Amino acid sequence: MFSFTRKQEIFDVSGIKIGGQPGEYPTVLIAGLFFIVEPDFNKAKKNLKTMFDVSKKTGNPAIPDFFIRKEEYIDRILDFIQKTLPKNQPFSIDIIEPQIKTKMLKKLDEKKLLSRTIYNSIHIGITDEEKKALKRYTPDTAIIVAFNPKDGSPDGKIEVLENGAHMTDKGLLDIAKEVGIKKILIDTAALAPGENSGAAIAAIPVIKEEYGLPVGCAIHNVVEKSKWLSKHGIQAKKIVDIASNINIPLFGGDYIIFGPIENTEYVFPTIAWQDILISEYTENYFGIKPIKNHPRRKLI
Amino acid sequence: MEDNDDYNGYYPWDGDFTVCSPTGCIAVVLLQIDNYTPPDCVAIYGPLRTENIGIEKIIANVISNPHIRYLILCGDDIRGHRSGSSLIALHKYGIDKQNKIVNAPGAIPYIENLESKAIKRFQNQIKIINLIGVKDKNTIDDVIQRYSKKHPPSFGKPYIAIKIKPQTSVDIEDKRALHSKIVVNYMGKIEKRRGM
Repeated sequence: MFSFTRKQEIFDVSGIKIGGQPGEYPTVLIAGLFFIVEPDFNKAKKNLKTMFDVSKKTGNPAIPDFFIRKEEYIDRILDFIQKTLPKNQPFSIDIIEPQIKTKMLKKLDEKKLLSRTIYNSIHIGITDEEKKALKRYTPDTAIIVAFNPKDGSPDGKIEVLENGAHMTDKGLLDIAKEVGIKKILIDTAALAPGENSGAAIAAIPVIKEEYGLPVGCAIHNVVEKSKWLSKHGIQAKKIVDIASNINIPLFGGDYIIFGPIENTEYVFPTIAWQDILISEYTENYFGIKPIKNHPRRKLI
Repeated sequence: MEDNDDYNGYYPWDGDFTVCSPTGCIAVVLLQIDNYTPPDCVAIYGPLRTENIGIEKIIANVISNPHIRYLILCGDDIRGHRSGSSLIALHKYGIDKQNKIVNAPGAIPYIENLESKAIKRFQNQIKIINLIGVKDKNTIDDVIQRYSKKHPPSFGKPYIAIKIKPQTSVDIEDKRALHSKIVVNYMGKIEKRRGM
């Protein structure tokens, strides 16, 4: 359990606080809604309700992450967001294809949703069109993924943030600032097993001390890609998937992209428990007081 | 069939693949395709997910076995990543000065861990059979059988494109260190290491 010397930024993302010293704010939990086939909005609505209910109980803020695979889903998903999510609730939009990203930004602007949007994500594959679109339609908050295909170590992750590791003309932090992103969240880019996957966790305190920005990652991706673990059965893999998330707050991280929203009922209590453990130490030793909504205040 | 345990000294980059016949002339790359297992006559098969490290692994492993002369890509390409199409682009056009695959449609198509010699070797050793979009088992099996019967000659010596790096990269005296950039005191306070 750690405390940082450098001042830690605390961002207000449409009402949700993220960042700070370990033990200060509850870990923010970001849940994926993947819509692998056609979007099933009834199921999504039910899952969101479950998530917001359990979030109220533990105090860990919940943010849904909408993974958009096809352009034709944009309008339907944004309509769903406007009708279903609580007023001002932030959400994250996760799109791989740059062309769909730019179209989505325009739509978010038209629907006046940019202040609630977490743009997921800026990375070394950013195109000029994407930069132009981001400048024109700027979300308040963006996740920068510190993925460096040559060097998966914490140093390699810092290299792409600082100078783009020759793949972009400048560092990803400068790019994000230039397009006007005010609140930057760093994702330490969890890689597949065998690809220095542990570096995504080790990089958390290094990057927090270096920049003072909120840091997290999707460490569950490592579990998802594990071949040997699949041989131990679905139940074992699911438990490891959920348990893997405790590494993030333990190493000082501020948010977790925990994968399928269906895991909500297990992930929230697990992380609330971990937040309590951390808070007990950091308050006693470093004097970090947990906020009123922290799991330690709500549950004990 | 065997899991990837350094078979014959081939396949230096470990990963999610299955090794079959050491003298087989075909590697099969599975994109999005369910419940399909290539026949035992192929040299190696496995999934491709990412348009960067995933492609690098395939190249490094395929050129390590000179018997492999054909690479068959099958199944649907992965949206966004477009890993299959990016692999074809690499074979056709190579990489630019920033190590980006020329004309690749994927989101982050960078080749960072292989020398240009390895890419040239891949281009010369391998003929790509593009079955992207094909998911029918019989059709894929027919193509595999057809190319398998060609019995092309070996390409010569194995090409080892990558050596697994030693894990220790820094020498730090204090035992509680996590990383050379930071110092953690005995109670968990982190601060930047002097001079970093």
